[in-house]
Amino acid sequence: MKVDVKRLAKLARIRISEEQEVRYEQQMQDIIEMVEKLPPLESRDSLVDPDHPMTLRKDVPSAPYKRDDILKNAPQVQAGCVVVPKVIE
Amino acid sequence: MELYNQTAASLAKMLQNKECSSVEATQSVLDRIAAVEDTVGAFVTVTGEEALRRAKEIDDRRAAGEELPPLAGVPVAIKDNICTKDVKTTCSSKMLENFVPPYNATVMERLNREGTVMVGKLNMDEFAMGSSCETSYFKKTKNPHNPEYVPGGSSGGSAAAVAAGEAFVSLGSDTGGSIRLPASYCGVIGLKPTYGSVSRYGLVAFASSLDQIGPFGRCVADVAMTYSAICGHDPYDATSANRAYPQFTVGGAGDMKGKVIGIPKEYFGLGVSAEVHDRVMKAAELFEKNGAVLKEVSLPSTPYALSAYYIISSAEASSNLARFDGVKYGYRTPEFENLTDLYEKTRSEGFGDEVKRRILLGTFVLSSGYYDAYYKRAKLLQKQIQQEFSETFSSCDLLLTPTGTDTAFRLGEKESDPLSMYANDICTVTVNIAGLPAISVPCGNAANGLPVGMQLIAPKFEEQRLFTAAGCYEALTEQPLCPVASL
Repeated sequence: MKVDVKRLAKLARIRISEEQEVRYEQQMQDIIEMVEKLPPLESRDSLVDPDHPMTLRKDVPSAPYKRDDILKNAPQVQAGCVVVPKVIE
Repeated sequence: MELYNQTAASLAKMLQNKECSSVEATQSVLDRIAAVEDTVGAFVTVTGEEALRRAKEIDDRRAAGEELPPLAGVPVAIKDNICTKDVKTTCSSKMLENFVPPYNATVMERLNREGTVMVGKLNMDEFAMGSSCETSYFKKTKNPHNPEYVPGGSSGGSAAAVAAGEAFVSLGSDTGGSIRLPASYCGVIGLKPTYGSVSRYGLVAFASSLDQIGPFGRCVADVAMTYSAICGHDPYDATSANRAYPQFTVGGAGDMKGKVIGIPKEYFGLGVSAEVHDRVMKAAELFEKNGAVLKEVSLPSTPYALSAYYIISSAEASSNLARFDGVKYGYRTPEFENLTDLYEKTRSEGFGDEVKRRILLGTFVLSSGYYDAYYKRAKLLQKQIQQEFSETFSSCDLLLTPTGTDTAFRLGEKESDPLSMYANDICTVTVNIAGLPAISVPCGNAANGLPVGMQLIAPKFEEQRLFTAAGCYEALTEQPLCPVASL
Protein backbone atom coordinates (compact mmCIF):
# COMPACT_ATOMS: atom_id res chain seq x y z
CA MET A 1 0.00 0.00 0.00
CA LYS A 2 1.17 3.50 -0.80
CA VAL A 3 1.32 5.72 2.24
CA ASP A 4 0.67 9.41 1.80
CA VAL A 5 3.12 10.68 4.39
CA LYS A 6 2.53 14.32 3.50
CA ARG A 7 -1.18 13.99 4.26
CA LEU A 8 -0.56 12.13 7.54
CA ALA A 9 1.94 14.78 8.58
CA LYS A 10 -0.56 17.52 7.83
CA LEU A 11 -3.23 15.76 9.91
CA ALA A 12 -0.76 15.34 12.79
CA ARG A 13 0.50 18.96 12.54
CA ILE A 14 4.04 17.82 11.89
CA ARG A 15 6.14 19.33 9.14
CA ILE A 16 8.38 16.97 7.20
CA SER A 17 11.08 18.36 4.96
CA GLU A 18 11.54 17.20 1.35
CA GLU A 19 14.68 15.26 2.25
CA GLN A 20 12.99 13.57 5.19
CA GLU A 21 9.96 12.63 3.12
CA VAL A 22 11.56 9.76 1.18
CA ARG A 23 12.97 8.18 4.33
CA TYR A 24 9.73 8.54 6.26
CA GLU A 25 7.69 7.16 3.40
CA GLN A 26 9.82 4.00 3.20
CA GLN A 27 9.84 3.54 6.96
CA MET A 28 6.10 4.08 7.29
CA GLN A 29 5.47 1.66 4.44
CA ASP A 30 7.54 -1.03 6.20
CA ILE A 31 5.88 -0.40 9.54
CA ILE A 32 2.39 -0.55 8.06
CA GLU A 33 3.28 -3.75 6.23
CA MET A 34 4.28 -5.21 9.60
CA VAL A 35 1.15 -4.15 11.47
CA GLU A 36 -1.08 -5.40 8.64
CA LYS A 37 -0.33 -8.95 9.71
CA LEU A 38 -3.52 -9.54 11.67
CA PRO A 39 -5.75 -12.59 11.42
CA PRO A 40 -9.32 -12.18 10.14
CA LEU A 41 -11.47 -11.51 13.19
CA GLU A 42 -15.19 -11.23 13.52
CA SER A 43 -16.62 -8.39 15.54
CA ARG A 44 -18.57 -10.10 18.29
CA ASP A 45 -19.35 -7.80 21.13
CA SER A 46 -18.29 -4.51 22.59
CA LEU A 47 -14.62 -3.66 23.00
CA VAL A 48 -15.06 -2.25 26.48
CA ASP A 49 -13.37 -4.26 29.22
CA PRO A 50 -16.12 -5.33 31.66
CA ASP A 51 -13.49 -5.94 34.39
CA HIS A 52 -12.63 -2.27 34.35
CA PRO A 53 -15.59 -0.10 35.15
CA MET A 54 -14.15 3.40 35.23
CA THR A 55 -15.44 5.71 37.89
CA LEU A 56 -15.38 9.44 37.54
CA ARG A 57 -14.87 11.83 40.41
CA LYS A 58 -17.48 14.39 41.33
CA ASP A 59 -16.65 17.67 39.66
CA VAL A 60 -15.36 19.37 42.78
CA PRO A 61 -12.25 21.57 42.66
CA SER A 62 -9.61 20.13 44.96
CA ALA A 63 -6.04 20.69 43.79
CA PRO A 64 -4.66 23.76 45.48
CA TYR A 65 -2.73 25.09 42.51
CA LYS A 66 -2.00 28.77 42.19
CA ARG A 67 -2.33 30.38 38.78
CA ASP A 68 1.23 31.70 38.94
CA ASP A 69 2.60 28.20 39.55
CA ILE A 70 0.81 26.83 36.51
CA LEU A 71 1.93 29.76 34.35
CA LYS A 72 5.59 29.15 35.21
CA ASN A 73 5.61 26.47 32.49
CA ALA A 74 3.95 28.60 29.83
CA PRO A 75 6.17 29.68 26.91
CA GLN A 76 4.93 33.30 26.99
CA VAL A 77 2.90 35.04 29.67
CA GLN A 78 1.39 38.49 29.96
CA ALA A 79 -0.81 39.84 32.75
CA GLY A 80 -1.54 36.37 34.12
CA CYS A 81 -2.51 34.98 30.71
CA VAL A 82 -0.82 32.72 28.13
CA VAL A 83 0.09 34.68 25.02
CA VAL A 84 -0.96 33.01 21.74
CA PRO A 85 -1.00 34.19 18.14
CA LYS A 86 -4.16 35.72 16.76
CA VAL A 87 -6.76 32.96 16.29
CA ILE A 88 -9.66 34.82 14.70
CA GLU A 89 -9.04 36.89 11.59
CA MET B 1 31.67 -3.14 51.35
CA GLU B 2 30.38 0.26 50.28
CA LEU B 3 26.81 1.04 51.31
CA TYR B 4 25.59 1.39 47.71
CA ASN B 5 26.14 -2.37 47.27
CA GLN B 6 23.43 -3.19 49.81
CA THR B 7 19.91 -4.05 48.71
CA ALA B 8 17.09 -1.77 49.84
CA ALA B 9 15.92 -4.53 52.19
CA SER B 10 19.32 -4.93 53.85
CA LEU B 11 19.83 -1.17 54.01
CA ALA B 12 16.38 -0.78 55.60
CA LYS B 13 17.45 -3.18 58.36
CA MET B 14 20.73 -1.33 58.89
CA LEU B 15 18.84 1.96 59.11
CA GLN B 16 16.37 0.53 61.63
CA ASN B 17 19.22 -0.89 63.72
CA LYS B 18 21.05 2.45 63.41
CA GLU B 19 24.08 0.71 61.91
CA CYS B 20 24.21 3.51 59.36
CA SER B 21 22.29 6.71 58.62
CA SER B 22 20.27 7.69 55.58
CA VAL B 23 22.73 10.57 55.03
CA GLU B 24 25.57 8.04 54.80
CA ALA B 25 23.62 5.79 52.42
CA THR B 26 22.61 8.78 50.29
CA GLN B 27 26.19 10.10 50.21
CA SER B 28 27.42 6.65 49.20
CA VAL B 29 24.98 6.60 46.27
CA LEU B 30 25.87 10.20 45.28
CA ASP B 31 29.59 9.31 45.36
CA ARG B 32 28.86 6.29 43.21
CA ILE B 33 26.92 8.47 40.77
CA ALA B 34 29.87 10.90 40.61
CA ALA B 35 32.25 8.00 39.97
CA VAL B 36 30.36 6.07 37.28
CA GLU B 37 27.86 8.44 35.69
CA ASP B 38 30.27 9.53 32.94
CA THR B 39 30.30 5.91 31.78
CA VAL B 40 26.69 4.91 32.46
CA GLY B 41 24.73 8.12 31.82
CA ALA B 42 21.59 6.93 33.62
CA PHE B 43 20.48 10.32 34.96
CA VAL B 44 18.95 13.37 33.33
CA THR B 45 18.91 15.26 36.64
CA VAL B 46 20.72 14.50 39.91
CA THR B 47 19.11 16.10 42.96
CA GLY B 48 22.02 15.64 45.37
CA GLU B 49 21.51 18.60 47.64
CA GLU B 50 17.80 18.04 48.10
CA ALA B 51 18.45 14.31 48.65
CA LEU B 52 20.91 14.97 51.48
CA ARG B 53 18.51 17.45 53.08
CA ARG B 54 15.71 14.87 52.89
CA ALA B 55 17.96 12.09 54.25
CA LYS B 56 18.91 14.28 57.21
CA GLU B 57 15.22 14.92 57.90
CA ILE B 58 14.51 11.15 57.95
CA ASP B 59 17.53 10.54 60.20
CA ASP B 60 16.31 13.23 62.59
CA ARG B 61 12.83 11.73 62.71
CA ARG B 62 14.28 8.30 63.40
CA ALA B 63 16.56 9.70 66.09
CA ALA B 64 13.53 11.32 67.71
CA GLY B 65 12.03 7.83 68.08
CA GLU B 66 9.44 8.00 65.31
CA GLU B 67 8.24 4.65 63.84
CA LEU B 68 9.08 4.85 60.13
CA PRO B 69 7.93 2.70 57.15
CA PRO B 70 10.42 0.10 55.79
CA LEU B 71 11.64 2.23 52.87
CA ALA B 72 12.28 5.34 55.00
CA GLY B 73 15.71 6.75 54.23
CA VAL B 74 16.34 4.53 51.20
CA PRO B 75 17.73 6.39 48.14
CA VAL B 76 15.58 5.88 45.03
CA ALA B 77 15.59 7.27 41.48
CA ILE B 78 12.65 7.98 39.20
CA LYS B 79 12.07 7.71 35.46
CA ASP B 80 11.82 11.16 33.90
CA ASN B 81 8.22 10.73 32.71
CA ILE B 82 6.89 10.63 36.29
CA CYS B 83 5.98 14.10 37.55
CA THR B 84 8.05 15.34 40.49
CA LYS B 85 6.99 18.62 42.06
CA ASP B 86 9.59 21.37 41.50
CA VAL B 87 11.99 18.94 39.80
CA LYS B 88 12.27 18.95 35.99
CA THR B 89 10.36 16.15 34.26
CA THR B 90 11.55 16.04 30.66
CA CYS B 91 10.44 12.67 29.20
CA SER B 92 13.93 12.92 27.65
CA SER B 93 12.41 15.20 25.03
CA LYS B 94 13.27 18.67 23.79
CA MET B 95 9.51 19.26 24.02
CA LEU B 96 9.63 19.11 27.84
CA GLU B 97 13.26 20.12 28.35
CA ASN B 98 12.29 22.84 30.83
CA PHE B 99 9.04 21.46 32.21
CA VAL B 100 8.85 21.68 36.02
CA PRO B 101 5.65 20.02 37.26
CA PRO B 102 3.69 21.99 39.87
CA TYR B 103 2.51 18.66 41.36
CA ASN B 104 3.67 15.16 42.25
CA ALA B 105 2.51 11.98 40.55
CA THR B 106 0.54 9.80 42.97
CA VAL B 107 3.42 7.30 43.10
CA MET B 108 5.71 10.13 44.24
CA GLU B 109 3.27 11.16 46.95
CA ARG B 110 3.26 7.53 48.11
CA LEU B 111 7.04 7.16 48.06
CA ASN B 112 7.39 10.46 49.93
CA ARG B 113 4.96 9.19 52.55
CA GLU B 114 7.20 6.10 52.86
CA GLY B 115 10.14 8.39 53.52
CA THR B 116 12.26 7.47 50.49
CA VAL B 117 15.04 9.83 49.38
CA MET B 118 14.97 10.74 45.68
CA VAL B 119 18.47 11.15 44.23
CA GLY B 120 17.41 12.06 40.69
CA LYS B 121 15.48 11.60 37.47
CA LEU B 122 16.38 8.91 34.98
CA ASN B 123 17.02 8.89 31.27
CA MET B 124 14.64 7.10 28.92
CA ASP B 125 13.65 6.77 25.30
CA GLU B 126 11.85 9.98 24.28
CA PHE B 127 8.27 9.81 25.61
CA ALA B 128 8.99 6.12 26.43
CA MET B 129 9.05 5.21 22.74
CA GLY B 130 11.91 2.84 22.10
CA SER B 131 13.62 -0.33 23.29
CA SER B 132 17.20 0.86 23.67
CA CYS B 133 17.21 4.26 25.45
CA GLU B 134 18.84 5.68 22.30
CA THR B 135 15.94 7.96 21.30
CA SER B 136 16.54 10.24 24.32
CA TYR B 137 17.08 13.86 23.28
CA PHE B 138 19.79 14.28 25.91
CA LYS B 139 22.11 11.29 25.93
CA LYS B 140 22.46 7.58 25.37
CA THR B 141 22.51 5.52 28.56
CA LYS B 142 24.98 2.61 28.50
CA ASN B 143 24.64 -0.91 29.82
CA PRO B 144 26.63 -1.00 33.10
CA HIS B 145 27.75 -4.58 32.40
CA ASN B 146 29.37 -3.47 29.14
CA PRO B 147 29.15 0.19 28.09
CA GLU B 148 29.34 -0.71 24.40
CA TYR B 149 25.87 -2.18 24.71
CA VAL B 150 22.44 -0.60 25.20
CA PRO B 151 20.66 -0.87 28.56
CA GLY B 152 17.34 -1.61 26.83
CA GLY B 153 14.37 0.69 26.92
CA SER B 154 12.43 2.62 27.34
CA SER B 155 13.23 2.68 31.09
CA GLY B 156 16.95 2.26 30.33
CA GLY B 157 18.07 4.79 32.95
CA SER B 158 15.95 3.10 35.63
CA ALA B 159 17.50 -0.32 34.96
CA ALA B 160 21.06 0.96 34.49
CA ALA B 161 21.01 3.07 37.68
CA VAL B 162 19.99 0.09 39.81
CA ALA B 163 22.45 -2.25 38.05
CA ALA B 164 25.29 0.25 38.54
CA GLY B 165 24.60 0.92 42.22
CA GLU B 166 23.43 4.49 41.53
CA ALA B 167 20.13 3.83 43.34
CA PHE B 168 18.80 1.03 45.53
CA VAL B 169 15.48 0.89 43.73
CA SER B 170 13.95 2.87 40.90
CA LEU B 171 10.63 3.42 39.18
CA GLY B 172 10.04 2.96 35.47
CA SER B 173 7.01 2.64 33.23
CA ASP B 174 6.03 -0.22 30.95
CA THR B 175 3.77 0.13 27.91
CA GLY B 176 5.03 -2.81 25.86
CA GLY B 177 8.03 -4.10 27.80
CA SER B 178 9.73 -0.88 28.89
CA ILE B 179 10.43 -2.15 32.42
CA ARG B 180 11.03 -5.82 31.73
CA LEU B 181 13.32 -5.52 28.69
CA PRO B 182 15.85 -3.14 30.32
CA ALA B 183 15.67 -5.20 33.53
CA SER B 184 16.60 -8.23 31.46
CA TYR B 185 19.42 -6.44 29.57
CA CYS B 186 20.89 -4.92 32.76
CA GLY B 187 20.57 -8.00 34.99
CA VAL B 188 18.13 -6.59 37.54
CA ILE B 189 14.57 -7.43 38.54
CA GLY B 190 11.73 -5.40 37.00
CA LEU B 191 8.01 -5.66 37.68
CA LYS B 192 5.24 -4.59 35.32
CA PRO B 193 2.21 -4.57 37.63
CA THR B 194 -1.41 -5.41 36.75
CA TYR B 195 -3.05 -2.61 34.77
CA GLY B 196 -4.99 -0.50 37.25
CA SER B 197 -3.03 -1.51 40.35
CA VAL B 198 -0.66 1.48 40.32
CA SER B 199 -2.03 4.98 39.72
CA ARG B 200 -1.00 6.64 36.45
CA TYR B 201 -1.83 10.11 37.76
CA GLY B 202 1.23 12.21 36.98
CA LEU B 203 2.73 9.73 34.53
CA VAL B 204 3.13 11.55 31.21
CA ALA B 205 0.80 9.52 28.99
CA PHE B 206 2.08 7.49 26.05
CA ALA B 207 -0.64 4.81 25.54
CA SER B 208 -3.04 5.21 28.42
CA SER B 209 -4.72 1.79 28.15
CA LEU B 210 -1.34 0.01 28.32
CA ASP B 211 0.96 2.24 30.44
CA GLN B 212 1.80 1.09 33.96
CA ILE B 213 4.38 2.28 36.49
CA GLY B 214 6.52 -0.35 38.22
CA PRO B 215 9.68 -0.88 40.29
CA PHE B 216 13.23 -2.11 39.62
CA GLY B 217 15.44 -3.68 42.28
CA ARG B 218 18.41 -5.96 42.88
CA CYS B 219 16.44 -8.51 44.91
CA VAL B 220 12.85 -9.74 44.94
CA ALA B 221 12.17 -8.26 48.38
CA ASP B 222 13.09 -4.76 47.12
CA VAL B 223 10.70 -5.01 44.21
CA ALA B 224 7.89 -6.40 46.42
CA MET B 225 8.46 -3.69 49.02
CA THR B 226 8.42 -0.88 46.46
CA TYR B 227 5.38 -2.28 44.69
CA SER B 228 3.60 -2.53 48.02
CA ALA B 229 4.37 1.15 48.64
CA ILE B 230 3.02 2.41 45.29
CA CYS B 231 -0.01 0.17 44.57
CA GLY B 232 -3.56 1.00 45.59
CA HIS B 233 -6.64 2.89 44.53
CA ASP B 234 -6.39 6.52 43.44
CA PRO B 235 -9.47 8.61 42.68
CA TYR B 236 -7.28 10.78 40.39
CA ASP B 237 -6.92 7.87 37.92
CA ALA B 238 -10.25 6.71 36.48
CA THR B 239 -8.72 3.35 35.51
CA SER B 240 -7.35 2.70 39.00
CA ALA B 241 -8.78 -0.50 40.54
CA ASN B 242 -10.63 -0.10 43.81
CA ARG B 243 -9.62 -3.17 45.77
CA ALA B 244 -7.58 -4.31 48.77
CA TYR B 245 -4.02 -5.58 48.35
CA PRO B 246 -2.49 -8.31 50.50
CA GLN B 247 0.69 -8.06 52.53
CA PHE B 248 3.21 -9.33 49.98
CA THR B 249 5.77 -11.96 50.94
CA VAL B 250 8.84 -13.25 49.11
CA GLY B 251 8.91 -16.97 48.28
CA GLY B 252 11.53 -19.40 49.60
CA ALA B 253 13.23 -22.46 48.10
CA GLY B 254 10.35 -24.87 48.70
CA ASP B 255 7.47 -22.59 47.80
CA MET B 256 6.91 -23.71 44.20
CA LYS B 257 6.11 -27.29 45.23
CA GLY B 258 3.00 -28.46 43.36
CA LYS B 259 2.67 -25.20 41.41
CA VAL B 260 2.01 -25.55 37.69
CA ILE B 261 4.24 -23.45 35.43
CA GLY B 262 2.99 -23.13 31.87
CA ILE B 263 5.61 -22.95 29.12
CA PRO B 264 3.91 -21.29 26.12
CA LYS B 265 5.61 -22.84 23.10
CA GLU B 266 5.06 -19.80 20.84
CA TYR B 267 7.40 -17.70 23.00
CA PHE B 268 10.34 -19.96 22.30
CA GLY B 269 10.04 -19.51 18.52
CA LEU B 270 9.78 -15.80 17.62
CA GLY B 271 13.51 -15.51 16.92
CA VAL B 272 14.60 -16.34 20.48
CA SER B 273 18.34 -17.09 20.50
CA ALA B 274 19.56 -20.58 21.41
CA GLU B 275 21.37 -19.22 24.46
CA VAL B 276 18.34 -17.40 25.83
CA HIS B 277 16.19 -20.49 25.17
CA ASP B 278 18.72 -22.61 27.04
CA ARG B 279 19.02 -20.29 30.08
CA VAL B 280 15.26 -19.93 30.49
CA MET B 281 14.69 -23.69 30.20
CA LYS B 282 17.46 -24.28 32.78
CA ALA B 283 15.50 -22.05 35.16
CA ALA B 284 12.34 -24.03 34.35
CA GLU B 285 14.18 -27.26 35.17
CA LEU B 286 15.35 -25.80 38.47
CA PHE B 287 11.73 -25.05 39.39
CA GLU B 288 10.80 -28.61 38.34
CA LYS B 289 13.56 -30.14 40.44
CA ASN B 290 12.14 -28.29 43.40
CA GLY B 291 8.62 -29.54 43.05
CA ALA B 292 6.97 -27.40 40.38
CA VAL B 293 5.12 -29.03 37.50
CA LEU B 294 6.01 -27.86 33.99
CA LYS B 295 3.28 -27.91 31.38
CA GLU B 296 3.56 -27.01 27.71
CA VAL B 297 0.76 -24.64 26.73
CA SER B 298 -0.21 -22.72 23.62
CA LEU B 299 -1.17 -19.07 23.13
CA PRO B 300 -1.83 -19.16 19.38
CA SER B 301 -2.38 -15.40 18.83
CA THR B 302 1.10 -14.50 20.11
CA PRO B 303 2.67 -13.98 16.65
CA TYR B 304 0.09 -11.25 15.90
CA ALA B 305 0.53 -9.42 19.20
CA LEU B 306 3.26 -7.09 17.96
CA SER B 307 1.01 -5.75 15.19
CA ALA B 308 -1.87 -5.19 17.60
CA TYR B 309 0.49 -3.53 20.07
CA TYR B 310 1.97 -1.04 17.61
CA ILE B 311 -1.49 -0.17 16.26
CA ILE B 312 -3.11 0.41 19.66
CA SER B 313 -0.15 2.11 21.32
CA SER B 314 0.55 4.42 18.37
CA ALA B 315 -3.13 5.32 18.01
CA GLU B 316 -3.26 6.35 21.67
CA ALA B 317 0.09 8.12 21.42
CA SER B 318 -1.01 10.22 18.46
CA SER B 319 -3.99 11.34 20.51
CA ASN B 320 -2.12 11.82 23.79
CA LEU B 321 0.73 13.78 22.21
CA ALA B 322 -1.65 16.16 20.44
CA ARG B 323 -1.47 18.26 23.61
CA PHE B 324 2.11 19.28 22.85
CA ASP B 325 1.35 22.24 20.63
CA GLY B 326 3.53 25.04 22.02
CA VAL B 327 0.63 26.91 23.61
CA LYS B 328 0.34 26.35 27.37
CA TYR B 329 3.50 24.53 28.35
CA GLY B 330 6.56 22.87 26.91
CA TYR B 331 8.68 23.95 23.96
CA ARG B 332 7.47 26.73 21.64
CA THR B 333 9.18 27.50 18.34
CA PRO B 334 10.75 30.99 18.49
CA GLU B 335 9.36 32.26 15.19
CA PHE B 336 5.98 31.64 13.59
CA GLU B 337 3.50 33.38 11.33
CA ASN B 338 0.16 32.11 12.60
CA LEU B 339 -1.37 29.45 14.86
CA THR B 340 -0.99 26.53 12.43
CA ASP B 341 2.58 27.57 11.81
CA LEU B 342 3.16 27.63 15.59
CA TYR B 343 1.76 24.10 15.98
CA GLU B 344 3.65 22.60 13.06
CA LYS B 345 7.00 24.18 13.79
CA THR B 346 6.79 23.49 17.52
CA ARG B 347 5.98 19.82 16.99
CA SER B 348 8.52 19.33 14.19
CA GLU B 349 11.32 20.90 16.22
CA GLY B 350 10.25 19.54 19.63
CA PHE B 351 9.75 15.85 18.81
CA GLY B 352 12.45 13.40 17.71
CA ASP B 353 12.22 10.96 14.79
CA GLU B 354 10.80 7.96 16.63
CA VAL B 355 8.05 9.99 18.29
CA LYS B 356 7.10 11.43 14.90
CA ARG B 357 6.97 7.96 13.35
CA ARG B 358 4.61 6.75 16.08
CA ILE B 359 2.39 9.81 15.77
CA LEU B 360 2.21 9.30 11.99
CA LEU B 361 1.40 5.59 12.42
CA GLY B 362 -1.27 6.40 14.99
CA THR B 363 -2.73 9.07 12.72
CA PHE B 364 -2.79 6.56 9.87
CA VAL B 365 -4.57 3.74 11.74
CA LEU B 366 -7.17 6.13 13.09
CA SER B 367 -7.76 8.01 9.85
CA SER B 368 -11.03 7.59 7.99
CA GLY B 369 -11.12 4.51 5.79
CA TYR B 370 -8.47 2.68 7.79
CA TYR B 371 -9.98 2.61 11.30
CA ASP B 372 -11.88 -0.69 10.82
CA ALA B 373 -9.01 -2.44 9.06
CA TYR B 374 -6.41 -1.55 11.67
CA TYR B 375 -7.53 -0.15 15.00
CA LYS B 376 -10.75 -2.12 15.32
CA ARG B 377 -9.09 -5.36 14.26
CA ALA B 378 -6.27 -4.77 16.75
CA LYS B 379 -8.79 -4.22 19.55
CA LEU B 380 -10.54 -7.48 18.59
CA LEU B 381 -7.22 -9.30 18.66
CA GLN B 382 -6.58 -7.79 22.08
CA LYS B 383 -9.76 -9.45 23.30
CA GLN B 384 -8.72 -12.77 21.80
CA ILE B 385 -5.29 -12.56 23.47
CA GLN B 386 -6.96 -11.81 26.81
CA GLN B 387 -9.21 -14.85 26.40
CA GLU B 388 -6.31 -17.13 25.50
CA PHE B 389 -4.43 -16.07 28.63
CA SER B 390 -7.42 -16.54 30.87
CA GLU B 391 -8.08 -20.04 29.46
CA THR B 392 -4.42 -20.95 30.02
CA PHE B 393 -4.50 -19.74 33.61
CA SER B 394 -7.35 -22.15 34.37
CA SER B 395 -4.74 -24.92 34.30
CA CYS B 396 -1.52 -23.04 35.26
CA ASP B 397 -0.47 -20.89 38.19
CA LEU B 398 2.11 -18.96 36.18
CA LEU B 399 3.67 -18.75 32.75
CA LEU B 400 7.41 -18.73 32.08
CA THR B 401 8.92 -17.19 28.92
CA PRO B 402 12.08 -15.35 27.85
CA THR B 403 11.91 -11.55 28.47
CA GLY B 404 13.87 -10.56 25.36
CA THR B 405 14.74 -12.64 22.33
CA ASP B 406 18.44 -12.07 23.00
CA THR B 407 20.84 -10.26 25.34
CA ALA B 408 21.47 -6.51 24.94
CA PHE B 409 22.64 -5.38 21.50
CA ARG B 410 25.39 -2.91 20.65
CA LEU B 411 24.75 0.84 20.71
CA GLY B 412 23.75 1.99 17.25
CA GLU B 413 23.16 -1.56 15.99
CA LYS B 414 19.41 -1.19 15.47
CA GLU B 415 19.05 2.57 15.64
CA SER B 416 18.32 3.14 11.95
CA ASP B 417 16.01 0.16 11.54
CA PRO B 418 12.67 0.72 13.34
CA LEU B 419 11.36 -2.76 12.55
CA SER B 420 14.24 -4.68 14.10
CA MET B 421 13.95 -2.37 17.13
CA TYR B 422 10.21 -3.10 17.42
CA ALA B 423 10.85 -6.86 17.26
CA ASN B 424 12.67 -6.71 20.64
CA ASP B 425 9.28 -6.37 22.34
CA ILE B 426 7.75 -9.55 20.94
CA CYS B 427 7.80 -11.50 24.24
CA THR B 428 6.61 -8.62 26.42
CA VAL B 429 3.80 -6.80 24.53
CA THR B 430 1.17 -9.51 25.07
CA VAL B 431 1.27 -8.87 28.82
CA ASN B 432 0.36 -5.19 28.34
CA ILE B 433 -2.31 -6.06 25.80
CA ALA B 434 -3.90 -8.42 28.34
CA GLY B 435 -3.33 -6.08 31.34
CA LEU B 436 -1.47 -8.79 33.28
CA PRO B 437 1.36 -8.53 35.81
CA ALA B 438 4.80 -9.89 34.85
CA ILE B 439 8.29 -9.82 36.31
CA SER B 440 11.67 -10.13 34.62
CA VAL B 441 14.29 -11.99 36.66
CA PRO B 442 17.93 -12.58 35.66
CA CYS B 443 18.62 -16.26 34.90
CA GLY B 444 22.32 -16.35 34.15
CA ASN B 445 24.67 -14.79 31.64
CA ALA B 446 25.26 -15.51 27.96
CA ALA B 447 28.69 -16.25 26.51
CA ASN B 448 29.17 -12.52 25.81
CA GLY B 449 28.98 -11.92 29.58
CA LEU B 450 25.65 -10.10 29.38
CA PRO B 451 22.63 -11.04 31.50
CA VAL B 452 19.66 -13.07 30.24
CA GLY B 453 16.20 -12.46 31.68
CA MET B 454 13.22 -14.75 32.15
CA GLN B 455 9.68 -13.46 32.35
CA LEU B 456 7.10 -14.83 34.77
CA ILE B 457 3.47 -13.92 33.99
CA ALA B 458 0.52 -14.22 36.42
CA PRO B 459 -3.23 -13.62 36.25
CA LYS B 460 -4.50 -10.10 37.03
CA PHE B 461 -3.76 -8.91 40.59
CA GLU B 462 -1.74 -12.05 41.37
CA GLU B 463 1.58 -10.24 41.87
CA GLN B 464 2.06 -12.44 44.94
CA ARG B 465 2.55 -15.47 42.65
CA LEU B 466 5.37 -13.58 40.91
CA PHE B 467 7.08 -12.73 44.21
CA THR B 468 6.70 -16.37 45.32
CA ALA B 469 8.22 -17.78 42.13
CA ALA B 470 10.95 -15.14 41.76
CA GLY B 471 11.80 -15.45 45.47
CA CYS B 472 12.00 -19.22 45.15
CA TYR B 473 14.38 -18.90 42.19
CA GLU B 474 16.47 -16.35 44.09
CA ALA B 475 16.71 -18.70 47.08
CA LEU B 476 17.75 -21.60 44.84
CA THR B 477 20.56 -19.79 43.01
CA GLU B 478 23.94 -19.84 44.71
CA GLN B 479 25.29 -16.56 43.32
CA PRO B 480 23.59 -13.25 44.09
CA LEU B 481 20.97 -12.75 41.39
CA CYS B 482 21.79 -9.11 40.62
CA PRO B 483 25.33 -8.15 41.67
CA VAL B 484 26.15 -4.44 41.24
CA ALA B 485 28.07 -4.05 37.96
CA SER B 486 31.77 -3.49 38.50
CA LEU B 487 32.65 -0.27 36.70
